[in-house]
Amino acid sequence: MIKFWSSFIILEFKKVCLVIFIALALLAAYASISFAAVGCSLNDPDRDVKRLFPEATGYKTDFITVKEAGGEELFKKIEQELGGKLDTLYETIDVPYAFYDVLKGKEVIAHIHGVNQKGIYGGMQIILATDLKGKILHFYYQKMSSPEASKFMDNNFTRQFASLSLDDFIQGKISIKDPTKESHEDFLATLRGVKKNLILLKELKINRKPGTK
Amino acid sequence: MKIIILIISFLIVFSFYKNAAAEYFYKEINLIGGYSDMDKWIGKSETLSNSVGFEDFRKFSNEYGDFLTSDLQMRLAYDSTENSQEAWALEVHNAWLAYKLGLGRDLKIGHFDPEFGLEPILDTHGTILQTLAMKDIGFNKDWGVALEGSLSELDYKAALQIGSGMSVRHRDGSYLFTTRIGTPTTNNLQYGLSLMRGEVLQSEGMSTFPLDDLLSDKVVTKNRIGLDGQYLFTSYLFKGEVAYGRNDDDDVLGYLGEVDYTLPRNQKIQMELQFQSWINDLTEDKSDDSTLIAGLSYKLNQNTTLRVAFSHDFNLMEGREDDKILVQFYYFGI
Repeated sequence: MIKFWSSFIILEFKKVCLVIFIALALLAAYASISFAAVGCSLNDPDRDVKRLFPEATGYKTDFITVKEAGGEELFKKIEQELGGKLDTLYETIDVPYAFYDVLKGKEVIAHIHGVNQKGIYGGMQIILATDLKGKILHFYYQKMSSPEASKFMDNNFTRQFASLSLDDFIQGKISIKDPTKESHEDFLATLRGVKKNLILLKELKINRKPGTK
Repeated sequence: MKIIILIISFLIVFSFYKNAAAEYFYKEINLIGGYSDMDKWIGKSETLSNSVGFEDFRKFSNEYGDFLTSDLQMRLAYDSTENSQEAWALEVHNAWLAYKLGLGRDLKIGHFDPEFGLEPILDTHGTILQTLAMKDIGFNKDWGVALEGSLSELDYKAALQIGSGMSVRHRDGSYLFTTRIGTPTTNNLQYGLSLMRGEVLQSEGMSTFPLDDLLSDKVVTKNRIGLDGQYLFTSYLFKGEVAYGRNDDDDVLGYLGEVDYTLPRNQKIQMELQFQSWINDLTEDKSDDSTLIAGLSYKLNQNTTLRVAFSHDFNLMEGREDDKILVQFYYFGI
């Protein structure tokens, strides 16, 4: 086995070095305009915008990272508001979040924004449509991996989030009941994901400082 | 050819245009190697070579919203099985512009997935496990135009392409028409029906420049009907597709089944098991090419993944079997 790998390394070493050299050269060239993987963009924004806002005529997409909007200071502020550390896989400082301004003609009538949230069985994607002040108009899952996914995705559960705002979460004014029997951790993850979504909307979109990207 | 060069030129110019409404830029490194009983040391899979690349994705907007999307995704690839003169290749994967005809309708032009089966709804750009597209059509990208849109309960896509795959050629009247109608991509259960009709050139490799090698100057007449589906249930993602039709006078059939499992307590780890079979002539015994693949991936961070895949080919040339192991380092991000 050792002979197997050592001969492979020797045979391929020069070739791999060449590829790595070119990779590093390209990376250096692109360092000034780089972005990380997008956090959670809509799979089909046209469909979602039409379904949620039949009066809409279009939408405008915007990508921004916490790093661009306020750096480490903002990252820590978001963690404080959330009441815990952000995940090192899904929620790093350089994840570009996608925001969609829903338009009726030239007028912005709502925002749509999604986040990834770690669940018990895998990632979930939590999408909120809000008014311009950040009050929830619609909530839905773009991806949900719970064994009781149908209960979470049911309108009877998701519509309870309508009209809530970030202040309601911060002040603990949430009276939504867990719709499941055995997926309480996914329920708590949902509440965290909704709160995180509202915090990011406030910090990266509604209250974004002039001059940041 | 001139039109295609024009599209790529536009995309390169767009990539330096700073006033786009939204943009993101990925860098990519793929290092892959392994061992096969038949080929011994190998430095590539069916679609992946050691390579560096990038993806430049942009949305252009005005005061009425987004009106144009562009995507340019290229690789500089090194094939260690070729001599030094022919080892390097430029692979153009995505090179398209999508113009919004209205909310829910886009007109696309450039290089993109044929609208058939699982391929247009899955991202297989950096993965060892692939869909049936390479065996079914012969390639997983082609040059042309497409109309994509959504109805209240269904998404539809239709594409007319030149039938040459990665390279830009038009010979022997080649073309490819594909269309797919399917459920929205936001459902946990998704399925679709696809149709294909084409006179398709068959080539080897993933190179765009220099041109990949043609297996024949003559086109293969392809007719197909296909069904595909995906179902996400807890930590399992099930995928399947089947395609039936004719290659010239031969009846052909292909099918694929795959299950992906994410470890609940360590979601950086994913296991994959896939079986795919392509029967080149239903009237002949042992005309199939069947492969079982077991894969394991570990996400080091948001951008970097390590993968290993073991595959067993049941029936390659002259009825021989083959076992293969591939190891991959894949970076896609900053």
